[in-house]
Amino acid sequence: MRLQTRHWVFASLFVLIAVVMASGIRLSVPVSPETQRMYDFIDSLPAGAVVLLSFDHEASSLPEIQPITRALLRHCFEHDLRPVGLALLAEGTAIGYRLMQTTAREYGKEYGIDYAYLGFKPQYVAAILSMGESISATFPQDYLGRPYDSLALLHGVENYDDVAAVLSIADGSFTTHWMEYGGRYGVPVIAGVTAAMVTTYDPYLASGQMQAMVGGLRGAAEYEKLLGRKGGGGARGMLAQSAAHLYVILLIILGNVAYFIKRRRSA
Amino acid sequence: MDRKIALVACFAFGVVMFAQYFSAHPVAHQVNQAVLEYWQIIFAFALVLGVVGFCQTNVTQVRKGHDRPYRMAALAGFVAMPLLATFWGIKAGSPFLWMFENVQAPMQSTVFALLAFFVASASFRGFRARSVPATILLASALLILLSRTWIPGSMSNWLPDAADWIRNNPSMAARRAILIGIGLGSLTTSLRVIVGIERTWLGGGK
Repeated sequence: MRLQTRHWVFASLFVLIAVVMASGIRLSVPVSPETQRMYDFIDSLPAGAVVLLSFDHEASSLPEIQPITRALLRHCFEHDLRPVGLALLAEGTAIGYRLMQTTAREYGKEYGIDYAYLGFKPQYVAAILSMGESISATFPQDYLGRPYDSLALLHGVENYDDVAAVLSIADGSFTTHWMEYGGRYGVPVIAGVTAAMVTTYDPYLASGQMQAMVGGLRGAAEYEKLLGRKGGGGARGMLAQSAAHLYVILLIILGNVAYFIKRRRSA
Repeated sequence: MDRKIALVACFAFGVVMFAQYFSAHPVAHQVNQAVLEYWQIIFAFALVLGVVGFCQTNVTQVRKGHDRPYRMAALAGFVAMPLLATFWGIKAGSPFLWMFENVQAPMQSTVFALLAFFVASASFRGFRARSVPATILLASALLILLSRTWIPGSMSNWLPDAADWIRNNPSMAARRAILIGIGLGSLTTSLRVIVGIERTWLGGGK
């Protein structure tokens, strides 16, 4: 097989990321105002407040979603907030449960008292609206099949009036539905989203419909810095992402140089 | 006649759901809750249709011999996951969760990560400063890309500031225009469906 330009492009990217990841370089990322805003928002919630954590993503975005979620969950547990997880996309269900369980273990938090997981509910619009009327009617049982009322954490949590905020972890447009339909009940919405979705949510953040947002691996790395924690995956992922971005920039410049040389010769 | 029933039902539900939005009466809340429950039940039936469709398509193609190994792998996963969940549960340490975390999630992440290779190739071959608008787009893309690396942290503030300006001004203005357009379009279409002007959801025709 004759190697073509694209094969070299693919191989170089693979080698570059492998070398950078193996190098173990640690980079310092300055904290952006958006990430600081999220940190301050969570910090401003009273200890013991219930935060609904909605896993609105697919498994494909896990490498980006996981560091964001872990950083936000760590902050919630450090601040003694009581996260209640759920999923509006089926694939987010098991991921969310696992992330909450492993992060809670780090802080010695107990299921049913310090955190809970309600599981998946199909038809996201109906689910969001229905929780505005009654969360227990929407989720009569938790993810593990226990009755809603048997969990001490959920006593007195009837609808959004008893929830301090909804934190949507999303790789698509689901956070919009939380703002449009959850906003009807006045619940504050915050979000951890993939980098590709950041610009989609910028108008909502600017208008105040969304209280705060952490975006992409960079946001996760910034949040880890604010928490003073290492090992969440954000900084490490940021390293690979930075290398790939610089590589793409180099390719764009090389491609344009080649294009202008070719154009000058043909003129 | 059956079309008229559907149109009347659509009109009735549209008007009732619109009216209950403005009411704090307990009956309005009960109606809202009941409709939302039925909505989820109807959606569950749609899931059943999807499952049946998936099975039919793949079994038919396996019989015909089209992409047999891939389709059989899809069917095996389709049968295995519910069985694992039914017999061993979905808790931590269960075979279901192990399969999800060690097979499905890595496979999907891998396929998604392949995009990086295509983006790299496309950036080299297709992203050219052929005109003034293309050059502006190119410069903006380079700035945003660069701002999402660790480099801004080791440089002066002009790079992150420039990237933020692009995000908060031209990019946000375009996004807002699109969102307002979508909102107006949704409102118009909803009204047309409720009053029966828009009938394509019935299968077309008059």
